[in-house]
Amino acid sequence: MNSDYINIALADDDEDDRLFFTEAFDELKLKSKVLLFKDGIELMEYLNDGDNTLPSLLFLDLNMPKKSGLECLKDIKATERLREMVIAIYSTSASEEDIENTFVKGANVYIKKPNDFEKLKKVLSEVVTTNWQYQTSGLNKDNFLLRL
Amino acid sequence: MPTPSSRYLRTAFIVGLFVILCIGGFTYKHISELSQTSKVVKDNYSLRSELELIISNLKDAEIGHRGFLLTHDSLFLNPYEESLQKVTSNLHKLDTLIVSNGEQVEKLKELKEDIKKRFNNFDKSFSLAKDDTILTQDLLFLLHEGEIRMDRIRADITAMLDLEQRLLTHNQEINEKKIGLTPLLFYGLLIVTLVILLLAYFKMSKDLKALKENNIELEIFEKLTKQSEIVSNTSTWVWYIEDNEFEFSDNLYRLVGEEPQSFEPTLENFYKYVHEEDINHLGQQVNMMMREEELPFTTYRVVHKDGTIRHLKAYSKMMDDTEGDKKMFGVTIDVTNELENYRIIEQRNQELERTNKELSAFNYVASHDLQEPLRKIQTFMSRLEAKEKDHISESGQLYIQRMKSASARMRMLIEDLLQYSRTNTSEKEYLRTNMNMLLEHAKTELLDSIEEKQATIICDDLPTMDVISFQIQQLFINIISNSLKYSREGVPPIIEITHQEVLSKDVEEIKDSLYKFHHKITFKDNGIGFEQTYADKIFLLFNRLHGKSEYSGTGIGLAICKKIVENHKGVILAESMPNAGASFIIYLPFLK
Repeated sequence: MNSDYINIALADDDEDDRLFFTEAFDELKLKSKVLLFKDGIELMEYLNDGDNTLPSLLFLDLNMPKKSGLECLKDIKATERLREMVIAIYSTSASEEDIENTFVKGANVYIKKPNDFEKLKKVLSEVVTTNWQYQTSGLNKDNFLLRL
Repeated sequence: MPTPSSRYLRTAFIVGLFVILCIGGFTYKHISELSQTSKVVKDNYSLRSELELIISNLKDAEIGHRGFLLTHDSLFLNPYEESLQKVTSNLHKLDTLIVSNGEQVEKLKELKEDIKKRFNNFDKSFSLAKDDTILTQDLLFLLHEGEIRMDRIRADITAMLDLEQRLLTHNQEINEKKIGLTPLLFYGLLIVTLVILLLAYFKMSKDLKALKENNIELEIFEKLTKQSEIVSNTSTWVWYIEDNEFEFSDNLYRLVGEEPQSFEPTLENFYKYVHEEDINHLGQQVNMMMREEELPFTTYRVVHKDGTIRHLKAYSKMMDDTEGDKKMFGVTIDVTNELENYRIIEQRNQELERTNKELSAFNYVASHDLQEPLRKIQTFMSRLEAKEKDHISESGQLYIQRMKSASARMRMLIEDLLQYSRTNTSEKEYLRTNMNMLLEHAKTELLDSIEEKQATIICDDLPTMDVISFQIQQLFINIISNSLKYSREGVPPIIEITHQEVLSKDVEEIKDSLYKFHHKITFKDNGIGFEQTYADKIFLLFNRLHGKSEYSGTGIGLAICKKIVENHKGVILAESMPNAGASFIIYLPFLK
């Protein structure tokens, strides 16, 4: 695998959303490789396999069958090997409760799925190009929810 | 503990008894002293008479003696002999009468000596006379000597009598001194006793009266207690621990469905009414009560003869009474009705909880599940518009535009509805908040449309209030955006916000409020306004005064405002005339 590529993963049970996601990355023309997972179980199986390359950026839907995004987040943060991975919550709802919970559990950014394809592209490129190593230090609850 | 009153009575009784005993003692002592004195007086008189008898007997002897000397007739010797005997017996009596006084004894000795000498003189003269009166010179001498002796005897007796008189007087003086104060003392003591007894009597009669009154009160109290037990379905009982005896109030019998006092109040008899499933637990509790001297709140069932099941609750506590006897005082209450009510409330609570859960589930469906397909429709439309624009005809593109605006409207509706249902939340935390800050936040939120409409907002200094801040901020946003939306074509909107503190009773709409003061916040604009007849209607959900094409809107915004103000126990009003602008007036009470 070429190190120039950014490894990006998305866990989302919605087929359409996965389609929008891959199309957006295709159109953005970033040097990226997108991994797709249909639910939390599939995602965790991949991550916990030591042979697999870890994505540097994980987009996590909250409402998924079998294992929810919040549970995945909890497990990832409890695993030493996965802890440094940048996690972007990628959800339809933006309820105070969900935002609060995921912030406390250590997610880096919260994205409400946009209802316009151009907006989606903008949001994704913003997240991918942000230097999270630097950004994390100034993270607070006010700028946790990504607004564009 | 004895009461102060009974202590007083006891003291009075003891003092009285003591005084009477004292008086008795003194009286006995004085009477014995008096009888002593009278004996002394009697002795004194006997002594006197004996002494006088001695003189008379001596005189008799002398007469006899003289008779003999003159006649030498032995007949005269008889009275002489007699008087000699009498004097001897007199002297003997004197011996018994005089014992106490040393001086008198001395004098008696002298007297005896003189009498003895006198009789010697007699004897000598007799013997001379027998010698036939030759030595008359000697006889004469003896007669003279006899005369002198007689005088001495008289002097002795006089001295003795004087001394006796003095002793008697002295004795009397001592006695008088001794007895002198006694009657006064007795009298005084008697008076004191009488006073004490009188006081005791008054005290007792007063106590008795109080006791009677207490009795009447107790009687009333008892009747009231019985009545209140019946009315409130309670009962009382006492367990006399020392004797292991129970006393049940009438109503306890009624609580187990029996006539008052219809069976002997014992545990065994009572257990007969306890539900068989509860009897073990109650028994354990009662055993524990015996040990711990307290019965914690215990609930159990009893079964009436007719099969009715009632729920009873008992509690008791150990108390020491004034005599130090240990008693358990217990209360038993019929809680069947309360339990039933509680069950009904519980049921309703569960129903409410279920409804609330359904509501929040609906919220979730609205926020998530409904928005998701809509979002996809919108996204796909944006894809269609961007990628396939060249393949779609002009009318097709118009349809796409219509679809876009329809779905945008649907999104707005969903969001507003959500907002409206969120204002229903039970989460009502009133915090002291600066209203100026909330207004600033609202203005920031509306910055785009304010700039677009070139609106001016003029604002008074607003107070700090106890509010649910996110709701008040929403209220400000909704009212201001409403004014911005319904502004007049070509006239830049001016919104004036004023604040005033008002007395509730001075304002018609809030004069019945529980709160004395209200904040009055007025939002006045220069927009299109509306007919005053619609002033109430505009706050109703989904109510719109204008067609959708004229002004966009869902008819939810002002309904949310009304809801928020009501959450804060306030009132919102609208005043307007067509083309003369509108005023929204909010009254919010001083909550603290």
